[in-house]
Amino acid sequence: MGPEDLDKVLRLLPPGDMREEILVGLDTQDDAAVFQLDEETALVHTVDFFTPIVDDPYAYGQIAAANALSDVYAMGGVPLTAMNIVCFPCSLGMDVLAEILRGGLDKVRESGAVVIGGHTVDDEEPKYGLAVTGKVHPKRILTCKGAKAGDALVLTKPLGTGILSTALKGGFLEEEDLVEAICGMARLNRDASRAALDAGAHACTDVTGFGLLGHLLNMLPEQGLGCEIKVSSLPLYPRVEEMASMGMIPAGAYRNLDFLAGNAKFAPDVSDVGKYIVCDPQTSGGLLLAFSPEGLADFATCMAEGHDWFLIGEFLESEHPLIRVIG
Amino acid sequence: MGELVDARGLACPAPVVKTREALKSGASHLEVLVDNATARDNVTRFATSQGCQVDVLEEGAFFRIHIRRESPVEERSLEASVAPECRPGTESGKVLVLSSDIMGRGDQELGSILIKAFLNTLSESETLPWRMVLFNRGVLLAVEGADTVTALSNLATLGVEILVCGTCLDYFGVKDKVAVGTVSNMYEILDTMFMASSSITL
Repeated sequence: MGPEDLDKVLRLLPPGDMREEILVGLDTQDDAAVFQLDEETALVHTVDFFTPIVDDPYAYGQIAAANALSDVYAMGGVPLTAMNIVCFPCSLGMDVLAEILRGGLDKVRESGAVVIGGHTVDDEEPKYGLAVTGKVHPKRILTCKGAKAGDALVLTKPLGTGILSTALKGGFLEEEDLVEAICGMARLNRDASRAALDAGAHACTDVTGFGLLGHLLNMLPEQGLGCEIKVSSLPLYPRVEEMASMGMIPAGAYRNLDFLAGNAKFAPDVSDVGKYIVCDPQTSGGLLLAFSPEGLADFATCMAEGHDWFLIGEFLESEHPLIRVIG
Repeated sequence: MGELVDARGLACPAPVVKTREALKSGASHLEVLVDNATARDNVTRFATSQGCQVDVLEEGAFFRIHIRRESPVEERSLEASVAPECRPGTESGKVLVLSSDIMGRGDQELGSILIKAFLNTLSESETLPWRMVLFNRGVLLAVEGADTVTALSNLATLGVEILVCGTCLDYFGVKDKVAVGTVSNMYEILDTMFMASSSITL
């Protein structure tokens, strides 16, 4: 669902129960909920599932699991257990489902967690994902708020998975054209999360359905802080710009752009497709992190070689939560 | 009156896919009906990227998008004004001559495979010729049933002018089976060769 619709629905509900053990709950735009057990331990809870975004069932399973696990990493947590959520048409063949689950299982194992159960529903369109429980030290939780003016904004995976999967669906691209994006989506945010904790990140979230700008807006408090990002410095998967300029822009990107309304200002040198690329809904996107200059240097050291990360902008003082996008 | 594509009620990317199919099939004037702003913008974006002239009319609950394919010269200027880095370049002056339905001399079967691969690769290439001239057995690449018609149609959609020798079509008795390109004559072929900044003969 788009951010606007979700907002409308949540307004219809009574406010969530307040209990002091709830360290992160419904009242913030964070990626997962955190419930404190004792001085040393808090549980991180999250759930995410979606329809196939690639044809290869094993890759789909891996991506869905990496995506679900990412919410735990975005809170600075370590995943412990996972439960499968499966909607599947029996007509599609049980070997396909087995491949999806194998992809998910391999990814969960790679994270160090265990799959300990799940639930299946007969459904026309397949959907797969996981509910994940992790643990985090109550004093070492990463949340989406906490960035300060002067902080560097870092992203740890390229953008464009929504545009590419739309192009795949429309027959403009073949699955071979998405190899880099598939590898990127299947990659765990584990190492980036650990490095962010060690380097003392001020704030952290992961980029998913609301797009880069939507999740960046979640990092801004109601007043006092803005952010500037440079479109030309954004990492993109191959062929994203080309596909966007051919009209392969998912409806979600339009919704995300609408929702930003007054909170985003685009410089005249930002191209038409650039506006949609920064709003493109991502599947299993990278972490979005805020670092002080010293923290950024530590992060660069902590990120082992072969791990991508990109400096894409800077937090600035601003009366209103405003994202300035320059070309 | 152009061909009508009714894409109302369809979610992205289906309206763009239907528009692309219609343009690929050779339509030079299309009217696409869509019922949401996302589809309107995506179809407009796609048609513009293909060098077409686009006008959008809002008609109550839906949008009527007029798409007209322009001549290659106007296509280029249009393309350049949108997003030059994403457009395949149509270089005026470069002429590709296909004088045979196979690529290279020697094995017939291998030659057929090669010419198909050549045309597929060309249709995905950044640099496109201005015109292609098909004569002798080369005309057989452009007639119904040839497995090279799709690639040639893609090239035509991208703005490459394909001239097919009429005398040759007559000789092979396939003049009524031309699936892509315009039937041409020796004057035009000669003109094309003289105007060419460079010509490549396969």
